[in-house]
Amino acid sequence: MSSSEPHDNLPPVPRFSPGRIWVLASSTFTQLVRMRIFYFLIVFAILVAGASNLDLLYTAAQKLRMLKDASFGAMSIFSWLFAIAATAVLIPRDLEDRTLYTILSKPVPRLEYLLGKLFGVLLTIGVALAVMYLLFTAFLFFREVTVLAEEKHYLENQPGLSPEDIAAQLAVVQAEGVDSSQFLALIAIFLQAAVVASLTMLVSTFASSTLFTMIVATLLFVVGHFHKLAAQYWQAEAGGSTIANLILKPIVLLIPDFRVFNISDKIIAGEAIAPGLMATMAGLAALYVAVYSAIALYLFIDKEF
Amino acid sequence: MSAPAVEVEHLTKVFPLSWRKDYLVAVEDLSLTVNAGEVYGLIGPNGSGKSTTMKVVLGLMSATTGSTRVFGIESRDVRSRQQIGFLPENPYFYKHLTGWETLRFYGKLCGLRGRELKDRSNELLALVGLEDARDRRLGGYSKGMLQRIGLAQALVQRPRLVVLDEPTAGVDPIGSRQIRDLIFRLKEEGISVFLCSHLLEQVQEVCDRVGIIANGRMWKEGTLGDLIAIEDQTELVLENASPALLEKIQSLVKEEQGQAALVRTGHPRTTLERLFLDSVRESQEAKDKEDADEKAKAAETGD
Repeated sequence: MSSSEPHDNLPPVPRFSPGRIWVLASSTFTQLVRMRIFYFLIVFAILVAGASNLDLLYTAAQKLRMLKDASFGAMSIFSWLFAIAATAVLIPRDLEDRTLYTILSKPVPRLEYLLGKLFGVLLTIGVALAVMYLLFTAFLFFREVTVLAEEKHYLENQPGLSPEDIAAQLAVVQAEGVDSSQFLALIAIFLQAAVVASLTMLVSTFASSTLFTMIVATLLFVVGHFHKLAAQYWQAEAGGSTIANLILKPIVLLIPDFRVFNISDKIIAGEAIAPGLMATMAGLAALYVAVYSAIALYLFIDKEF
Repeated sequence: MSAPAVEVEHLTKVFPLSWRKDYLVAVEDLSLTVNAGEVYGLIGPNGSGKSTTMKVVLGLMSATTGSTRVFGIESRDVRSRQQIGFLPENPYFYKHLTGWETLRFYGKLCGLRGRELKDRSNELLALVGLEDARDRRLGGYSKGMLQRIGLAQALVQRPRLVVLDEPTAGVDPIGSRQIRDLIFRLKEEGISVFLCSHLLEQVQEVCDRVGIIANGRMWKEGTLGDLIAIEDQTELVLENASPALLEKIQSLVKEEQGQAALVRTGHPRTTLERLFLDSVRESQEAKDKEDADEKAKAAETGD
């Protein structure tokens, strides 16, 4: 056999292995869990419990809405903050600790390493959001039962109210209770976190430090909430000049409009969400995750350690 | 005939220095071969290009020019890594994993599963003497224990080549001896070892062949016996020689009336340490001379 020919007894190494990605993703999940990030769930539970027991001078419906506002607000903040912090830490830490050397010197293609890390973060966010959603639903359900009972008792003691009037008023309160459409808001929050995590992973492949990655990713996330408005305003002011277009178009194209994912306000307000909107949102998230991952791989594949 | 474990052919690695049109030549036209079943030691001072060479062999870096192969497969090809077990210098693995979980993690990355993985993990923990610490997280391991679990993960998929970068750095003498014994054991099992170390005594003890690298170039390479032999001296090994015979030999040497002289009887060997220091000094002198020549040439042309 010539020295340049592969060895006959070489065991087959699949070019792409979902099994290896799962090994890396589950290890990332374990790592994040053991970093005690789920302690945030205790903070969340306290927040929701506090919000559900606040007895200010609100109407029954307002009490439930406040609980929903606080819960979805906390879920959203946790998901994007965690997506940035966890993703920004993982790859640079592997490099600093030289753990990356031992992983990439095994038969692990770099694409699988990146996907493993990303899926590990998304798995953690998914599990955390699921637990938060269950907690929220449980609190909202019990709060709804209590508030409805109190409201019914109050209304029944009011003179001049017919049973139809009471039922109508109770229906208003019930509309603020547990609703399956709230699950759509959870999906939207998760999709936003997926885009933020993949964007952060892209930044971390060329950034020089964790801090730099976190700052840039946060900045891009903030820009993603305002760039469409800014573009409209600037184009109106500059009269659609070529320079304005040259600067704005790449920014608008490269960073998604994160406002698209913000449907929880509409759901809390009881507005119906068109199925088309969810499909568009999922498609947009998938596209950006794929594009960011592809650019990250392009930068990472020839990176020298 | 099986392919060599490692082939490095005319490897040159140049690093561009950021923000300047300047560059650093870390490795220059380096060639070496680690034959299957051989223990090869690459020694050199800090910054000589040892780690860069290793990283190119492992596919962690790409060559600027030249090529590297592992058992005949290009280093950039992921399949080449199925045959390699690598222990980096001062390794830090995932601190949140226990010793047992660490071996399972690396084993799974190499495609091991189920009973095979379980048995292999147990076997390796026993081999490196960490059975008692198997359920302890790596965050609580000492430096020597980390080195040992590092060795275990390097061996998890039964590689045919083990690459060790300063395997005894920061390890106490007992740990160091255990690692040395393990290298002997790997050699007995026919596993090739590519070793980088500053501990010349250790290299001298375990390596079949040695390469001395300085300023990115291979300065000397060969079997240990050849390298440490003194070239202008000849050793005659006689068995059962009588004092009369020895006297005759001495008088023959005297009769020669040339430059030949009997220096001593015994084993004329230098040490690897002396050879290493001489090589580094010679390499530095050559480099200084090259730099001086280049400067003189530049001064002549007015650049």
